[in-house]
Amino acid sequence: MVNLTIDGKQVTVSKTATIYEAAKEAGVDIPVLCYAKKLLPFGACRVCLVEVEQMKGRLIPACTTPATEGMVVTTNSDEIAKVRKTVMEFLLVNHVLDCPVCDKGGECDLQDLTYDFEVNSNRFEGVKFDLPTDEVNPLIERNMNRCVLCGRCVRVCDEIVAYGSYSFINRGFETKIATAFDRGLSCEFCGQCLSMCPVGALLPRPFKFKARPWQLKEVDSVCGYCGNGCTVTLGCKDNQVQTIRFNDKIGVNDGNLCVRGRFGYSYVNRDDRLTTPLVRKDGQLVEASWDEALDAVSSALKDGKAGILSGARLTNEELFLLKNVAKTASASLDHSGGECYKGVTEGLQETLGLASSTGTFPQVEDADVILSIRSDFYETHPVFGMVVNQAVKRNGAKFLVLSDKTGKFNKLPDAQTLLTKPGLEVNVLNAICAALLESGQAKTDGVSGVDEFKSALADYAPAKVSAQTGVPVEAITAAAEQLAGAKKGAILLAYGLPYTAQSKELAIAAANLAILSGLAAQDEAGLYICGEKANSQGAIDLGILPGDGLGAQEQLAAAAKGDLDLLYVIGEDPMTSYPDGAKVEAAINGAKMVVVQDLFLTPTAEQADVVLPAASFAEKDGTFTNAERRIQRVRPGITSPGEAKSDFEIFTSLLGRLGAQVSYTGPQAVFAALAAENGEYAGIDFDAIGPQGVVWGGDKLAPKQQVLVSVSGLQPVEARFQLVTGSALYHSGTTSTRAKGPRAVIDEAYVELGREDAAELGVATDDQVTVKANGNTVKLKAKVDNRLPKGVVFVPNHFAGTGLNKIYQGAASVAVEVTKG
Amino acid sequence: MFKEFIQGLSITLKHLSPKHITTVQYPRVRLQVSDRFRGLHRLVPTQDREKCVACYLCPTVCPAKCITVESAENEKGEKYPKVYQIDMLRCIFCGYCVEACPVEAIEMSGQYELANYKREQFIFDKKRLLETK
Repeated sequence: MVNLTIDGKQVTVSKTATIYEAAKEAGVDIPVLCYAKKLLPFGACRVCLVEVEQMKGRLIPACTTPATEGMVVTTNSDEIAKVRKTVMEFLLVNHVLDCPVCDKGGECDLQDLTYDFEVNSNRFEGVKFDLPTDEVNPLIERNMNRCVLCGRCVRVCDEIVAYGSYSFINRGFETKIATAFDRGLSCEFCGQCLSMCPVGALLPRPFKFKARPWQLKEVDSVCGYCGNGCTVTLGCKDNQVQTIRFNDKIGVNDGNLCVRGRFGYSYVNRDDRLTTPLVRKDGQLVEASWDEALDAVSSALKDGKAGILSGARLTNEELFLLKNVAKTASASLDHSGGECYKGVTEGLQETLGLASSTGTFPQVEDADVILSIRSDFYETHPVFGMVVNQAVKRNGAKFLVLSDKTGKFNKLPDAQTLLTKPGLEVNVLNAICAALLESGQAKTDGVSGVDEFKSALADYAPAKVSAQTGVPVEAITAAAEQLAGAKKGAILLAYGLPYTAQSKELAIAAANLAILSGLAAQDEAGLYICGEKANSQGAIDLGILPGDGLGAQEQLAAAAKGDLDLLYVIGEDPMTSYPDGAKVEAAINGAKMVVVQDLFLTPTAEQADVVLPAASFAEKDGTFTNAERRIQRVRPGITSPGEAKSDFEIFTSLLGRLGAQVSYTGPQAVFAALAAENGEYAGIDFDAIGPQGVVWGGDKLAPKQQVLVSVSGLQPVEARFQLVTGSALYHSGTTSTRAKGPRAVIDEAYVELGREDAAELGVATDDQVTVKANGNTVKLKAKVDNRLPKGVVFVPNHFAGTGLNKIYQGAASVAVEVTKG
Repeated sequence: MFKEFIQGLSITLKHLSPKHITTVQYPRVRLQVSDRFRGLHRLVPTQDREKCVACYLCPTVCPAKCITVESAENEKGEKYPKVYQIDMLRCIFCGYCVEACPVEAIEMSGQYELANYKREQFIFDKKRLLETK
């Protein structure tokens, strides 16, 4: 700690603090332009100049100068004001004055500073730039005439996103920010740069000319896509979500968002949202009243054998009510296809006695060793991926990626890729465990089941697994060594509908490794098993699980046999997203009555007998629990279209019709009820859930037990081509395929091929390719890049109507035939 | 007292003389309003469009909240007001909109005869405002 004086105020700050940060602590405001909280100091704009007693004779930039002991800083004097005003005049020499047509007007740092310093005229003259704007990309408008060269976009793209789209080019007055070869922007479109831009040089194109910042009603809520639980501040006007506002003050994401979170909001405004209940009459879905629709659903629930399949994007309160609906009607209940979450509910339960991740996301930022199982983790949880980027790039964490293809993660500096054949991750994890035990580095104190585990690992000696999977022995032993040496390590694994294969085994293998390397027992970080959807963890916490009833797959099987009177699907599109589409189709056809509760007339809803229009995340009040157990408030920014009702209201009406005595006044009352029933949520007050949310169980959840459980991996699939599915970065589930932003980047399904395979097949990007397996064929456009090893093809699972799930039936990798045309 | 009375009446009598009459025979005779008169608004046209760039400063500054603007992008990629509308029933003719306009796209004309028969007729849309003389 160092002591210094700023404007007469004594302040004690940490040794790493700059004068600017110290001043902030002391409550002294220093104007800045190029400074950003989450970026490294840069010192480009010179607006933050201050006077330091010990360095008399020149002014010192506050944002780059470290605070030292005894410093006496003056932040405001006539001289400083004069110099700052001059700096502003320099900045304004070639800044175009198009504030009236610039969407940044009203929240522009340059505009504010110009006003503050009363820069009404300019003593200097210069040529205003007339550079063309970047009209190539669909999401980020770049107008370099407005740029003040603060470098915030360059730095955020490099330091946090680790993409490196931008750089300074040219010199002197000609300096500008440009992409590679000064072509249009083509990147992952997370939009971090535009959230950082202090002026109007980078703006969200979907929001172009839509509104002024002061006209927007800002509502802090939680993103409805993945389990990352990022805070999104909805900018609402005219009962529409117009944009997502930058907010780094609250939430777990530090203002970082991915392409889905930042640009994927528009589906809530769509005209084709369901607005009235639909009931099938004479083979046609026709509009009906809520009473008619709900009576039909409740009588089917009451009289027959019912199965309920829920999605994981309902709030905790709604899930609680749904559970009561299922209980009252003695219906079977399950969520997310029933298979993919078993790693958490069964795998972690058996090994660690937990059903969730052990640490929080921010703890990974200064982890020293990180293992990501599948490179897809960045695609499923991009903003957590950015935390990993920072850990690796800024804090020098050792980074291991165990994956069947390469991706963003593998490109991080010094990332070590353990490239395995598809579906053999468990084998490699077992081999790392074996290497740990062999070298005596394994931590086995307080661990049970060691001997059985050891003997079960006989088949997974590194050399053997290496031959099978293609991962070099040295890589396996090196990984074991690094994990064993970790003081603060993290193992990351995502689960979701496209990753149903071996989900339990994979989680157990990861948990075994976490136990043996000592990660599970660490004080921080540890094992992260992250759900695909916004409230996946909440669904598990609240027990949206089969219990004694039928699981999702059993429900589908029963429905197909005609044993189910009612199949009630809520917030899911099984026809598109569940593996084994034929099974789903048989179930939909076989069930006596199918009810779908959703935002849109999805392929599943089209087949339903009753369709109930529901509310999106932007219209709801309640809580989501993210993948690190953080319970956060979801708040409504707009009202639902037409007669659409929130799931909360629908379930309450159903409960009433089923004869249950319920009178909840709102989500608050339901949360109190669920907290009373659920041990982990006990004592949490709905109204006391603050801007950072509440992490149930505390920041680090200590394992209740440490039991090694042996699991066996798969045998490699022998085929010329193997298909793997998963999440694409630009989409999440099937919902994002209805949002303009993500669609602007990828609007149809594709089959991704490695260069070698593409050359062999004579296929180029956008050529049509036929993928054949299990007696079904799928025709898709090709996308050629160098992400995939030879023999592996990838198809994302988001798009309806591709028929991917006719081929993909839940296996880790599918032997397919790939032909051109 | 009598003297003051005469004094006062003399002013009154002076103004009764035809030389001093200020009343005009409206509507046959109309007064020339001052250049600074704040009457009906006028949107200033340029050659091919309105001068207004839909910056939203006038609806923001308007104390009577009578201006509605909706911006959009035209074929040339420029920002323009798709909707520009003033509700004259609410307008208080303060002239703040004129003062706030950064591009001098709105002015106030000398028109003050704004009476009408229907409420809707007091809503001046972009076309009507552009046609204001």
